[in-house]
Amino acid sequence: MSNSSDAVIRISNMNKWYGQFHVLKDINLNVRKGEKIVICGPSGSGKSTMIRCINRLEEFQQGALQVNGIEMIDDIKNIEAIRKDVGMVFQHFNLFPHLTILENLTLGQVWVQKKPKAEAEALAMKYLERVKIANQANKYPGQLSGGQQQRVAIARSLCMAPQIMLFDEPTSALDPEMVKEVLDVMVELAEEGMTMLCVTHEMGFAKKVADRVIFMDAGEIVEENTPDEFFGNPQTDRLQLFLSQVLEH
Amino acid sequence: MTANSVPSKIFTPKAARPAPVKTTGAVAWMRQNLFNGWFNTILTLAIVVGVGSVLPAMLDWVFLSASFSGAAQADCTGTGACWVFINAWSQQLFYGTYPAEEIWRINICVVLMAGVLSAPVWLPHHLRNRVDIALLLLFPLVAVVIMDGRLLGLQYVSTDHWGGFTFNVMLAAVSMILGMPLGFLWALGRRSTSMPMIRSICVVLIEFFRGVPILALFFMGSVMLPLFFPEGTTVDKLLRVWIVLVLFMAGYMAEVYRGGFQAIPKGQYEAADSLGLSYWQTTLLVILPQVIKVSMPNILATAVMLFKNTTFLLIIGVPEVLNTAQSALNNSAWLGGYASEAYLFVGFVFWCCCFGMSMVSNHIERKLDTTRR
Repeated sequence: MSNSSDAVIRISNMNKWYGQFHVLKDINLNVRKGEKIVICGPSGSGKSTMIRCINRLEEFQQGALQVNGIEMIDDIKNIEAIRKDVGMVFQHFNLFPHLTILENLTLGQVWVQKKPKAEAEALAMKYLERVKIANQANKYPGQLSGGQQQRVAIARSLCMAPQIMLFDEPTSALDPEMVKEVLDVMVELAEEGMTMLCVTHEMGFAKKVADRVIFMDAGEIVEENTPDEFFGNPQTDRLQLFLSQVLEH
Repeated sequence: MTANSVPSKIFTPKAARPAPVKTTGAVAWMRQNLFNGWFNTILTLAIVVGVGSVLPAMLDWVFLSASFSGAAQADCTGTGACWVFINAWSQQLFYGTYPAEEIWRINICVVLMAGVLSAPVWLPHHLRNRVDIALLLLFPLVAVVIMDGRLLGLQYVSTDHWGGFTFNVMLAAVSMILGMPLGFLWALGRRSTSMPMIRSICVVLIEFFRGVPILALFFMGSVMLPLFFPEGTTVDKLLRVWIVLVLFMAGYMAEVYRGGFQAIPKGQYEAADSLGLSYWQTTLLVILPQVIKVSMPNILATAVMLFKNTTFLLIIGVPEVLNTAQSALNNSAWLGGYASEAYLFVGFVFWCCCFGMSMVSNHIERKLDTTRR
């Protein structure tokens, strides 16, 4: 549906197997710059696997993937170049527990981007201000709440100046009262025009910011549409069933 | 409902319960811990009787009837232990046959060692990692240069005269300093999935140095290894056993780290990957510090084992502390059986050091615990 000429991510006919198990079946997806995409679907449908292929935390066996015009191939240079442009936020935050919050944010800048430490710290503090936890800069991740840790994780990714952000169920491991503080940061980020791919079950978030919502089931993209159509007029039985189960609560 | 059907509400107090058994104080503690049940009571009494029958004689031998002052066998006048023996031989027990007027060099090395090993505590935070590693790796070299003396224009002391307890300590320390990083490399190699050749080599090395008893390794190092060197080359015996100790330590440490690696969640690697860190950056900056943290108790246990194992060098004639003690026992001026004193003393000194190491490791563990608020 999107024209592929100005796409920053192009996935064509992507297939992936775990042994005999076919996890991703002929995935085709183009993402334009600045576009916000929410991916949902039952667990085991391959949604996490798909976005993890984009920065090669997972490998795929067939098909092609291009990020910012760089082909994802088995060459460490290409992988590094793609990872430079793509930031990722995980379900379990994955902060480095032995480093302070500030050190978590400067590690990549200093070692990957080779920035001077002072400059890295200044940028880190700027992003910590933005996610509203600058006063925790010298604490360790273990001393923060889940919501705070996830905001730090977002800030850590942003410090690397990515053009694309991947969110892999960023609120699934949070207590309910902490979900909002993380979603607020994500909404703000979306409003600034970041290209975002979010795997999430937060349907409110999808309605609010998504340009497109994608429904995956059993390794395929079953349906994709604008949020209004997606929620208001689901085409397939599978999506109708899924929505009825998710939206009931 | 009539008033009659309501049971009479006259207050009748229940009988008072017995006063609670006292739960604080010495008597209560003993009741709870030593005399709770007939079995524990019997055990407690048996232990009291057992210790009671041994302890007085022991205290008498160690302190009351012991002779402390003097310099020769003739001063052993008491019926108990003769600590004069330890006193008279203390220099040899601690420094071996190192020339008396050069002993300050050993003391400098010991002080340096203490400084280097405690560097993580006193170094300012921003210098810690790099400076600490540099100091650790420099120490073995500096210690050898000072002990040897030639490069510094000091009196040359050959390795035959390096001995005594300080030697055990330093040999263990330098073996640990070199064995720990080597073991880490072996552990990394063993985990490698992309390089099967390196993986196999590491597995063989680790299993060999863990599977063969250390005494056998020492004999191989001192007797067998020279056979493989080209004719005419002599490699110092001490250097050979040192290499053996380093490899032995590396083998054990590799397995200690392996346990540590398994405790690191996969997400840590993924986060490092997504930030664009390279393999070595991820390994050294993200994984290694966490592996060391979770492995700390086992690292210490291995270090203590290695330290105690340095006494096995007695068997191949290296003048470490037990060997020195035996020479003292065989000295003609001191014939008459002071073995109890000698071995008790050596045991006590080792125990003090190992207990100290436990204390230090507890301190480090608390310091590394970044989850406390």
